[in-house]
Amino acid sequence: MRAFVKLHAEGDGFVPPSTNDFNLPPITESIAWLTKPVLLVFLSVILVSVFFILSSRKAAVVPSKLQFAGESIYGFVRNDLARDVIGHEFMRFVPYLFTLFTFVLTNNIFGIVPFLQFPAMSHVAFPYVLAIFSFGVFHYVGIQKHGIIKYLKEIAFMPGVPKPVYILLTPIEIATFFLVRPLTLSLRLFANMFAGHLLLLVFIMGGDYMMHDSHLIMKLFSPFSFAFGIALTFFEFMVQCLQAYIFTLLTALYIAGALADEH
Amino acid sequence: MTGTLNLVGFGLSAIGPAIATGMIFAAYINGVARQPEARSVLQPIAFLGFALAEALALFGLVLAFVL
Amino acid sequence: MTHEPSNRREENALWSIFGYLVSGLLFWGGIGWAADHFFGTTYLVLIGLLVGMGGALYLVWLRFGRE
Repeated sequence: MRAFVKLHAEGDGFVPPSTNDFNLPPITESIAWLTKPVLLVFLSVILVSVFFILSSRKAAVVPSKLQFAGESIYGFVRNDLARDVIGHEFMRFVPYLFTLFTFVLTNNIFGIVPFLQFPAMSHVAFPYVLAIFSFGVFHYVGIQKHGIIKYLKEIAFMPGVPKPVYILLTPIEIATFFLVRPLTLSLRLFANMFAGHLLLLVFIMGGDYMMHDSHLIMKLFSPFSFAFGIALTFFEFMVQCLQAYIFTLLTALYIAGALADEH
Repeated sequence: MTGTLNLVGFGLSAIGPAIATGMIFAAYINGVARQPEARSVLQPIAFLGFALAEALALFGLVLAFVL
Repeated sequence: MTHEPSNRREENALWSIFGYLVSGLLFWGGIGWAADHFFGTTYLVLIGLLVGMGGALYLVWLRFGRE
C-alpha cells in the first residue's frame, strides 16, 4: 500500500540540508563526546549564572540597568508563570521554573547568535532530559501531596462512569499522564528548534549556491534568498522565545494539575 | 528525492481540520467578546468542537503511517 | 486554587485534549496493530483506532464537556 515517488532535481550541484548537518564532529579528535552542542550547553550555564550573579550582587532600591534586566526576567517567571498558574504554593517551584526558562531560552537563542548558530535543543537528547526532570517534579509533587494510592486513583479512575467503561478509559488516562505528556513536552521543543534551524540552512545555503551559479538569473535571485533568510531569522527569534515560554508554562500547568484537589 | 505519497495525502487532509479549528475558535472568541458572561456556556462546546476536529487530524496522521 | 485566570485553564484544557486524543489513538491502535501481527489479519488496527478515538472523545466529554 506504500507508493514511493522519486523526484530528481535539475542538475546535480545543490545538496539540500539534511539531518546530517546536525551531526557535528567532535572538536578535538581525542574526546569523542565534546561536540559543539555540548560546548554550547556548558557556555549557556556559565552565561546564565554569571549574568544573574552580577545582576543580583549589588542589589539596590534604585536598580541599575543590569539589576533591572535580571529582575524583570525573574519577575516575569515568578508572577506570570508561577503565581498565576500554580496558586498559593507557588514559591516552592519558582527556582525550578526559573532555571528551566532561562536555560531553555539561552540555548534556543544560540541558534541565531552569529558564530554560535546552533540550537542545542535541536538534538533530541537535551529536551528528553529536561522533560524527564519536569516529569519527576510534577509526579513527585502530586504523590507528596495526596499520597501515592490516592494520586494514582485520581489519575486512573474518572468519577461518574459505569464500571465496564474503565477498561476502555483507564489505559488512555495512564498513557496520557505517564507517556504522552513528557513525550509531547520534549518533542514540541525539539521539533521547533530542528525545523527552524533546517529552514535557515535551506535559505542561506540556497542563496550561497545561487550566487556561485554560472547563470545570471540565478545570481540575480540570490539576494532574495538571503533576504528571506534574514527575515526568517527574526521569525525564529520569536519562535525560540515562545518555545521556552511554552515549555515552562506547561511544566507549571502540570504541577498545578498534580496539586489540584480534584479534577 | 524519495518519500511516500501517504504524507502528501496527510498534508492535504490536514487542511480541513486546520480550517475547522480556526473557525471554531474564531466563533468562540467572537461570542465571548460580545457577551463575556456566556463564556462558561460556550467553553465546553468550543472544547468539544476542537476535540472532534483534532481527532480527525490525528486520525489522518496515524493512517498515513499505518496504511 | 486561590486565583487562577480562566485563560490559563483554557490553555491547559487544549493541551490535555490533544494528549488524550494522541494517547487514545496510540494505545488502542497499538493493541489493534499488535493483534493484527499476531492473528495475521489487517482490519483489527482500524477497529483499534476507532475504539481509541471513541474512548478519547468520551474522556474529553467527561472532563471538559459536561457542566
